[in-house]
Amino acid sequence: MKPAAHTSASLDRYKLSPVRTEVDRFIVPAVTIFIALLLFFFMLFPLSKILQLSFFKGGELGLANFTLENFHKYFTNAYTFRALWHSLYVSLATTVIVTVIIFFFAYAMTRTTIAGKSFFRNIIMMPLVAPSIVQALALIYLFGRNGLITAHLIGTSWSIYGPVGIIVSEVLYCLPHAYVILYTTLSAVDIRLDEAAESLGATPFKVFTRITLPSAKYGIFSAAALTFNLTITDFGNPVVIGGNYNVLATEIYAQVTNLYRFDLGATISIILLVPSLMAFMLNYYISRKTFSMISGAAKPVIPPSRPLKKSLFTSYCSLVSLSIIVIFATVVIGSFVNIWPYDWSLTLAHYSFPSIGGYSALWTSVWVSLVVGIIGAFVTLVAGYVMETRKPFFKQFIYLLSVMPAAIPGLVMGLGYILAFNRPYYVFYGTPWIIVINIVICNFTLGILSSISNLRNIDSSIEEASISLGGDTLKTFFKIIFPLSRVAFFQNFVYFFMRSMTTISAVIFLVSASVHLAAIEIIMLDNDGWTASANAMCTCIIVIVLAMLGILRFVSQKTGQRPAGLVADF
Amino acid sequence: MSKQLILENVSKHYGALTAVNDVNLVIEPGEFLCFLGPSGCGKTTILRMITGFEQVSSGNIIFDGKVINDVIPQKRDFGIVFQSYALFPNMTVNENIAFGLKMRKVPKDLIDQRVAQMLKLIGLRGWESHYPSQLSGGQQQRVALGRAIAIEPNVLLLDEPLSALDAKIRVRLRTVIKRLQEELGITLIYVTHDQEEALALADRVVIMRDGQIRQTGTPWQIYKEPRTSFIAEFVGTSNFITGTREKGAVRFGDRRFAVSRLDDTKGDTVHLAIRPENIELLDAGSSGDGLAPSNVIDTNAEVINFLGAVVRVMFMLEGEEMLVDIPEKEFERINLRRRDAMKLYFPPDAFHVYSELFKKLI
Repeated sequence: MKPAAHTSASLDRYKLSPVRTEVDRFIVPAVTIFIALLLFFFMLFPLSKILQLSFFKGGELGLANFTLENFHKYFTNAYTFRALWHSLYVSLATTVIVTVIIFFFAYAMTRTTIAGKSFFRNIIMMPLVAPSIVQALALIYLFGRNGLITAHLIGTSWSIYGPVGIIVSEVLYCLPHAYVILYTTLSAVDIRLDEAAESLGATPFKVFTRITLPSAKYGIFSAAALTFNLTITDFGNPVVIGGNYNVLATEIYAQVTNLYRFDLGATISIILLVPSLMAFMLNYYISRKTFSMISGAAKPVIPPSRPLKKSLFTSYCSLVSLSIIVIFATVVIGSFVNIWPYDWSLTLAHYSFPSIGGYSALWTSVWVSLVVGIIGAFVTLVAGYVMETRKPFFKQFIYLLSVMPAAIPGLVMGLGYILAFNRPYYVFYGTPWIIVINIVICNFTLGILSSISNLRNIDSSIEEASISLGGDTLKTFFKIIFPLSRVAFFQNFVYFFMRSMTTISAVIFLVSASVHLAAIEIIMLDNDGWTASANAMCTCIIVIVLAMLGILRFVSQKTGQRPAGLVADF
Repeated sequence: MSKQLILENVSKHYGALTAVNDVNLVIEPGEFLCFLGPSGCGKTTILRMITGFEQVSSGNIIFDGKVINDVIPQKRDFGIVFQSYALFPNMTVNENIAFGLKMRKVPKDLIDQRVAQMLKLIGLRGWESHYPSQLSGGQQQRVALGRAIAIEPNVLLLDEPLSALDAKIRVRLRTVIKRLQEELGITLIYVTHDQEEALALADRVVIMRDGQIRQTGTPWQIYKEPRTSFIAEFVGTSNFITGTREKGAVRFGDRRFAVSRLDDTKGDTVHLAIRPENIELLDAGSSGDGLAPSNVIDTNAEVINFLGAVVRVMFMLEGEEMLVDIPEKEFERINLRRRDAMKLYFPPDAFHVYSELFKKLI
């Protein structure tokens, strides 16, 4: 019996289109080249402009023009030179404080049986939903010259402006980033090691210092390096709360915006790039080691903690959470009261934004963020797919390019964009598009890394099954890979959206007379004395981002898929 | 509709590692061929080179007279069934089976007709609008089979298709695959590490080890005449006796075994293999008349494993553990218990003789 016999003749006529299969050969190389060009043109090219302007007289390339004059100027001017020490000081202080605070917080979340873990997790992640300015705004309301606590409750003339303010606000800003790393590390280390040590007679202190700490050391270093990098490159908090205490990031901005010294701005960018690049590379090197330590072995249930330990850690986590809650509550409440801290009557007046023409900046931000979300998620998914699944010829090179954006401070990238693209023939300059491109590139690294890790969850045989059945690259991607990555795609979309809504440093040089963004307007409002309105704008951003995260949570619950990554931790 | 597939001096290197070493094989149209070997022997690499997902390092893969080394997998028109089923989770059974046909722009009515035919063939009519996650493992693998066959592939390749399934379903699906292959007359290449599966299914079995073909033959030939001690151990079960050659016999401890095919090898050390079912159980009172007296031994049953149709009994011979299989009926008749005395006979012609003993697998 040959049931296929009569149809086989008719099926024989239908073969794969030879044109399609020929064209298919070029799709992967074409996409690879496109991504390489994208990163070249929108990352390396602007960076090269900064190098050019800082090392060559008048920015003109040529041996005769090579000069270290700019650096000489920087290091001999006591005021600008101080910015470097200031930056290093606040960053190191922040790093130490954050690492210690978060280590015990993550320890409580992974190694104890305290109640309310999901509450604590939600709170510790909160700083991600707001621009890195919310901490400074709140601290000024509480501890500023007219602060609720300093001036009114205690009656001291001390105020938090300066290094202390920067350090406290950066600590509160960096907590979630460091938490994600240490939580992953501590939950990956086998708790049975602790139990084994205990059963052999080690005291709890010995177990902690001999087993727990050493096994988490890579995570600790990685979290520290990330915190250092985030702090030294942050612009929003120091510009608001720093007062006269200048740091590298604010100095770049001052040189460029106030003094029109692009050459010095570029020079300071290079000086900022060095420590942040070092911290990034340390983090990159360490996180590879961390992941090699993570085993897929089943993890036993944590044994119930002793009551004393439990209450100690519960109090500790509550205290850390409370400080974050206070920050957010201050900003939100501050936006609704008439005159903080004198007149507590409620008002919506701060939400009318007369000085900046109402809500247009916020809507621009939302639109830009939606576009950034879609483009960012799509480009990183395609790039991740091509690199991870199709393994193009120069994959390692593209990979290196893809992780570079994380090492480059947003402010530096933004300055590079002005230097590179402020030419009439770059028609996207001065439009929202340059902002879209900039934000996508600045956040490319985390986007592509989470795309890759999600693609790794798709069985490679599925891809091969499609190909063996005649599916070409485009069909395989759009009919199979993309539908299977929907939740991961949406998660990445939300990540890019969130970053776009809250970033300040990346875009501060790119907003123009015609394009305003909400996060930048916070600084402008604060600068012009509309502090309550600055809080109101902050609140708007927080609400919008939280709404988007709510949708993500709803979608992932609906589909039963729980994506991994930064955003998924909400 | 099937054509000859030839592997000609095919090798695959990954850096310094040789995964497949100079493999030569002619696969006839309509043949059911099984690659059998332990994990890491290179069998899956061969399959992947045939499918085009791996490039050959040297040698040629020839199909229908043409070298296809550089032909991309899409164009080979080979159907593949994966160990993990690899069904598209976002598509129904129907859409999964129709996928390859859609890629070929087959008209809709013809697709429907073909899909219906496939569903009947794999015995899943009525399940067409289910998603893979709603099916059992066995059903999913049936869909994977239907999907691969739907495009009327030149060759059907199956990579350990049953190893993710329960034992019972495995045996049932084995029959489904065998029947499909016979009905369609398609060339089928099957990769497995399960010797029972290979023997039950294949027209021809290719035994692989360390990237090389060690023996090719019908299941019967492989089982009856294993060419190396490794195959004797890997396919079925064998007892091994290592002794020294002594005047036309093999000295093993205090005894000398008469062995028929001793001239097959040279060298002083001789490795004998004998399958448990080839050792004969003699009645206790039997005098062993007409049998080679040196090959009759008296021993005791140490461990008794009831396997169903046969009972496997472990006994000691010169300090080595040996197995003998006794048919269940026979076992019942003599009412054998642990530590009972047994009289066993090792027929001289039941020994396979090897000059080398395989290296133990793990």
